Amino acid sequence: MSVKVSPRPIRELARAWAIAKKDLRIHYLRPGLIMFGILFPVFLFISFAVGRDVSPVVLVPGFVAMTLFFSASSTGAMSVPTERKTKTYDRLLTAPVSPVSILLGQTLAGFFFAVAISAIPLLIGVLWYGVGVASVAALVIGICLASFEFSAMGIMFAAMPTDNPGDVMMVLNFVRLPLLFVSGIFVPIEAMGSFGFAAALSPLTFPVDLLRYAFGGVGYYGVVWDVAGVLAFTVLFFALGVALHERNRKKA
Amino acid sequence: MNAIEVEGLTKRYGDFIAVNDLAFEVKEGEVFGFLGPNGAGKTTTIRMLTGLTAPTSGTARIMGNDIQSEPFLAKEAFGTVPEVSNVYDDLSAWNNLMFAGELYGMPRGKRAERAEALLERAGLAGFMNRKAKGFSKGMKRKLTIAMAMVNDPLVLFLDEPSSGLDVQSALELQKALREMNSAGTTIFLTTHNIEDANIMCDRVAILVGGRLAAVDSPERLKATIQGTQSVRVAFGGNGTDIEDALAKIPTVSRVTREGDKWRLYTDEPTVVLDGVFRYAQGNQLELLSVNTMGPSLEDIFLRLVGGKPR
Repeated sequence: MSVKVSPRPIRELARAWAIAKKDLRIHYLRPGLIMFGILFPVFLFISFAVGRDVSPVVLVPGFVAMTLFFSASSTGAMSVPTERKTKTYDRLLTAPVSPVSILLGQTLAGFFFAVAISAIPLLIGVLWYGVGVASVAALVIGICLASFEFSAMGIMFAAMPTDNPGDVMMVLNFVRLPLLFVSGIFVPIEAMGSFGFAAALSPLTFPVDLLRYAFGGVGYYGVVWDVAGVLAFTVLFFALGVALHERNRKKA
Repeated sequence: MNAIEVEGLTKRYGDFIAVNDLAFEVKEGEVFGFLGPNGAGKTTTIRMLTGLTAPTSGTARIMGNDIQSEPFLAKEAFGTVPEVSNVYDDLSAWNNLMFAGELYGMPRGKRAERAEALLERAGLAGFMNRKAKGFSKGMKRKLTIAMAMVNDPLVLFLDEPSSGLDVQSALELQKALREMNSAGTTIFLTTHNIEDANIMCDRVAILVGGRLAAVDSPERLKATIQGTQSVRVAFGGNGTDIEDALAKIPTVSRVTREGDKWRLYTDEPTVVLDGVFRYAQGNQLELLSVNTMGPSLEDIFLRLVGGKPR
């Protein structure tokens, strides 16, 4: 009897998928994730939107991007240190799974969580503000790419050698909050004047611009540059995340 | 083929050397015990062997595969039981085992079959659908051990495996490990329980201050300190100045009291036996029991780590 052995990349992907499923089962809907991933962006949006005369076509893409930004980046930042504390992270590290696959699995969990959560701002935008969608393809691509990018960002921050999720969230918020103000959410890039160059350095700018195109049919950089920008940040976060996690494992 | 080969394994944290130039091998099918006082470097060593951390220098190979350069192949061959039970509290016992099997790429049917057998053996079959967060410490320990066995590993690493288990569960674990070993699994365990190591291990290594102080079979190690052979005797009555009298028997180096018994340390037990019989006869004392005893593994351990014998 011959035993069929899958090629190594297929085996690695299957194990990454197993990790993603496990993370989705146990980590999403934890109080910390609901607080930082859902309630925080919702309240931030309300405090910005209420009483201001801003077009919904500008408001809603920013709201969707902000929700994706907070929910996707919070998942890894919460789950990895929690697993370090319970020592279940050691189980992943001693299993025959490469560091890339472990982090891919955890990034996928954040991706699916954020995609599901994006329904909240989308429904509010469509039903409450009555905005239409100019490009469904750009909307789907924007939500998917942004979810993966921000999830990879959270995983990268989770490389911090700590077993306290609060430590990672504190540093992450220190970075995330300033980025909100240079990414075209509250102040459009075209209105930023000489600070416009700072927008291109933010990982949030390109998803916001892509979603603005999806809803209003107009963007600042154009779809191709937006997609390229998101992909570039995704690769940077993921590669840096793998390197930092590996460095810390070796030093532990 | 050696199951584990370690050469020059060293781990430094700044100026502190946690593990210093270890070299040993564990043969296939062996039960190998790793003993040492707290802080000796046992856990750091097991963390390097299982890929949880990288050595500063040196190599470790599991079933011929270097844990650093070929981690995938090395990790396919072993299972681990860490000192702290690491089950997923929010998953049921069944899902914990199924996830552990998925990490080793086991097909669903085989995973389910194996999970069922392991839950049965661990006495957790009746709790398979309950989340582990409601489990006792002992139940979590059993589930952790079952998860380490899910891929039927060639090598099993156990860090203080009986920690948190009651006497019966510890005996069941010993039985399960013996069965696995009989089926060909190599077992590497760290323990504070010297009697466990004495009963279970083919060979033991004693680690002191990050260095290997000794590696051999328990009986060979005991043979290296024959000076701690002893005669243990219990009398039926109370003699006068019994301790002084026993200490005067030729070749007795030391006398200690152990409950209702006396232990006489000597290099020549036969000379002491003769002296004990004469003393009992001369003082009209009944001899309830007489045993000659070799040095225990604990004597070896204490001598090597610089502790005082009992």
